[in-house]
Amino acid sequence: MYINRLLLLFAGVTLIFFPAIETWMFSSETAWYRPYQLWLLVVIGAYWNQRSRYPDEL
Amino acid sequence: MSFSLAQILLFIIAYLTGLFAVAHLADRGIIPERITRHPAVYVLSLGVFAGAMASNGVIALAYQYGYNFLLYYLGVVLMFVVAALLLFPLLRLCRVYQLASLADVLTFRFRSPLVGAAVTVAMCITLLPLLALQIQVVADSIHILAGDGAALSSGGPRHNRLALFFCVIITVFSILFGTRHVSSQYRNTGLVTAIAFESLVKLSALMVLLLAAVYSIFDGFDGLQQWLLQNPQIAGRLTQSIQGNDARIMLVIFFAGAVCMPHIFHMAFAENNDSRDLRSATWGLPLYLLLLSLPILPVAWAGIKLGHDLPMEYSGLAIGMALNSIPFSAAAFVAGLSAASATIIVTTLALANMCLNHLILPLRPLQIDREQTIYTQLKWLRRSLIAILIISGYIFFVTLDGRQSLSELALVAFTGTLQFLPGVVATPYWPKANRTGLLCGLAAGLGVWSFSMLLPLAGGDQPLWLTGLYRQLLGDSEKLWTAVALVSLLLNATVFVVVSLLTRTSKEERVAAEICSMDDQARPTRQVLSVYSAADFSQRLAPSLGQRTAETEVNRALEELQFTRDETRPYALRRLRARIEANLSGLLGPAVAHRIIERRIPFLPGAHADTEDIHLIERNLDQAQPQFTGLAADLDNLRRHHRETLDKLPIGACSIGSDGELLMWNQSMQQITGIAPTDVLGSLLGSITPPWGETLETFLYGDSDTALKTEVVVDKGPSRWIVLHKTPIDEGSNSSTVIMVEDITDFELLEEELLHNERLASIGRLAAGVAHEIGNPVTGIACLAQNLEYESDPEEIRYMAQDILKQTGRVTRIVESLMNFSHTGPQSAETKLAPTNLADCVDEAIHLLELDLEAKPVSFQNHCDREVVVLADSQRLLQVFINLLGNARDACDEEDAQIEITSLTIGDQVRVDVEDNGCGIPPELQSQVFEPFYTTKEPGAGTGLGLALVFSIMEDMNGKVQIASPISRGKNPGTRITLYLPRTTYGLFEL
Repeated sequence: MYINRLLLLFAGVTLIFFPAIETWMFSSETAWYRPYQLWLLVVIGAYWNQRSRYPDEL
Repeated sequence: MSFSLAQILLFIIAYLTGLFAVAHLADRGIIPERITRHPAVYVLSLGVFAGAMASNGVIALAYQYGYNFLLYYLGVVLMFVVAALLLFPLLRLCRVYQLASLADVLTFRFRSPLVGAAVTVAMCITLLPLLALQIQVVADSIHILAGDGAALSSGGPRHNRLALFFCVIITVFSILFGTRHVSSQYRNTGLVTAIAFESLVKLSALMVLLLAAVYSIFDGFDGLQQWLLQNPQIAGRLTQSIQGNDARIMLVIFFAGAVCMPHIFHMAFAENNDSRDLRSATWGLPLYLLLLSLPILPVAWAGIKLGHDLPMEYSGLAIGMALNSIPFSAAAFVAGLSAASATIIVTTLALANMCLNHLILPLRPLQIDREQTIYTQLKWLRRSLIAILIISGYIFFVTLDGRQSLSELALVAFTGTLQFLPGVVATPYWPKANRTGLLCGLAAGLGVWSFSMLLPLAGGDQPLWLTGLYRQLLGDSEKLWTAVALVSLLLNATVFVVVSLLTRTSKEERVAAEICSMDDQARPTRQVLSVYSAADFSQRLAPSLGQRTAETEVNRALEELQFTRDETRPYALRRLRARIEANLSGLLGPAVAHRIIERRIPFLPGAHADTEDIHLIERNLDQAQPQFTGLAADLDNLRRHHRETLDKLPIGACSIGSDGELLMWNQSMQQITGIAPTDVLGSLLGSITPPWGETLETFLYGDSDTALKTEVVVDKGPSRWIVLHKTPIDEGSNSSTVIMVEDITDFELLEEELLHNERLASIGRLAAGVAHEIGNPVTGIACLAQNLEYESDPEEIRYMAQDILKQTGRVTRIVESLMNFSHTGPQSAETKLAPTNLADCVDEAIHLLELDLEAKPVSFQNHCDREVVVLADSQRLLQVFINLLGNARDACDEEDAQIEITSLTIGDQVRVDVEDNGCGIPPELQSQVFEPFYTTKEPGAGTGLGLALVFSIMEDMNGKVQIASPISRGKNPGTRITLYLPRTTYGLFEL
């Protein structure tokens, strides 16, 4: 089965650090747009990931 | 500030006309292809996901659930970020098998028209709330802009007629541009460009609202931050509901929606064939949704600050109206209008295709008319369905009468489509899943959803036992939709798994599961078709599709595969069949396409049903090569190395399946036969260009595993000589035979050349003797002629004439012998077997050898039976004896040299022994004496070709030659050369 290794890493890291990320993101002193910063990081990560060909691509 | 209904109506018509224009310009190619085909257009077209829920509904969601509103976007973001898990496998399936909807995919995977019909019906029902949501947003917006916002809040009368008018316009647009191509194979450029344009409009409108909210309501971002600090309860509301099951379930619901919602599926897969575009969407769509979601919180907060009395969903309109600004009001209205129209158009188009392929066509066969192709009928059916679906959505909207909020409607629709997630996940990942399990799971999940969400939505009451059940399972704290989504999904998945495990999975489903599976290349089987040429396909399909459509479809498939109409290779015909089924699947849906193909072009039931199509598998592996990594890449490299080795082998190699189909044909085979692998691979052996097909077939089905020397007579050009070997490969159902073909034509020609040279050398050696033999009678004739000049006695003259005749007769005999020996050459290489008197042949050889005066005096004794006749080429047999007797003479001492030739008849063979009393041949050298150029004689005394030629000639004459030495004790042990020749008679041969 072809599983993108970077995706696995992404899923693992997200799972491990989810509580910390959640606390950081939703702490009351932070700016309201903080979740969007994280979202932007995900977009950049996805852009970086798609540059290499997907294994299931035809 | 308010607008008249006429103004609003004109605005809607102007906007949609603009949209028509964009689609039309794209369709006509006036908007250049570099724009319409750009990945950004595809990414923006996926923005169809963000319907009226994104422009309006999420504002209320943000107000109610804080940051949870982001989950609406993040579900889709997650699906696209992990596109390799589901989206790419689905794109591969949809592209190869022309699948245009989720119902197509599930029907293809579970090989059941019932699955397609069930999914279609369920999808239509679950999508009604979503359609109603879009209509409600436009209708309510019209209501607010017309100045009746207060009535909306208090549940007053609604502008249902305006909503109907909006539906009619949308129906026209959907019909005009959504049904341009009847097959899902072609990208609908106009539609895609128009939807992308709508996404841009939606984004721009929301950005305008963001600016209006921040700068006009809060005096900039600092003002906004200040306001938030002054109202901590507002900021605190952002995080208050983020914990608990709500967030997780909401994420799952919208995650599933990204692939289960028919409009997203349609834009992602049916309108796109290029995986590069999907790659761009993995980051492009998350970025677009990020931008789209940015204005939501400021707009919601602006709505709170304004304290308007409209529902929270319409805070954008409230801002415009509060600021008394036409541009801001228009932006808010356009955001909702563009979002709603895009969703309605694509959703109804996708649902119409599903209804046509899975409900209409399986029940109502198309009317075959010579004047009208089925394409026209399909277009009209699709148009009618689009109209029916939009009107159904309108009726559902009217039934709801505005009792539900937008977010409630969206949650009902998304929870309904969530029920398809187990089937979608099982498609690439669980080969054991079967149709019974899927249908039972769907029935359970959709049953719970219907009773708990759809029924209350339409005004009914949820059964009490269900309410009790939810309380039992999840307690009182959970919201109803959370409980319904969780219970229905778990029940669905559990029933699906359990029933699939308990019931039988059909063979068809297992094959489809393998095709859908990501970790397996499709394992095509090599079955035997009931048609034998591409031209037959049209005739077979005509009863189902009509003559013209059948011709069109067959020609299209042939063109795509680059085959011709006279194609007969079984491999090519199987590919043609699969291609036609895929194309018909895009036209009529997989269920109908499969049924037509199975009925009209069936495979013959037989022993080869499970044989794998090695050639096709190899072709697929070649195409998939860049995908392999790690061990798979190593294995593939190894496969390529072995393949290359076989291909470059200097000996011809071909492999034939148990059904006579050619599986391999290497480069040497091409050199030997002049037939390229692409022309024969997948063909039946017997159908290969003569004489090769017949030659190989005869050998393949013959008893012998080796054919040492086979002449192949080619029409144009000289004959070729080949040596054939075969070996069976038994791999269960994949048994085949490998044939090795060695081209010995050059060797054969060289041998002929050597034979000729050897003959010339023999003649040279005999020349002196011949001259002497002829010289004696010529001298005698000369003397007699001198005497004749002076002789007058008639009696003497007569005697002298007789003497002259006797001498000339002797000369003639010598010359004839020499001519007989030198008669054959390379030009007459063919062996002509005929009855030959053995003893006479031996006599002739002895006579010729005795002409050599320089040779040792040897006593030749011919004891052969005078009556024995052998089947041989007399000239070649003469050469054999000259070589053998000549060698024997050379091996003998000058004293008492004796050479005996004897014959013995054994059954239908004649054994001839040539024995000498020479020096003999040591045992260690006996295996080499038949090799060319091997000689024990002095340099210059022999060519080393004599015995090699004897061996070759005997093989040509179906004879054998053996050697034995010593044959006696003592100084001269001697050698015996034994020949075996087929016995015959003159009479038998004539018969």
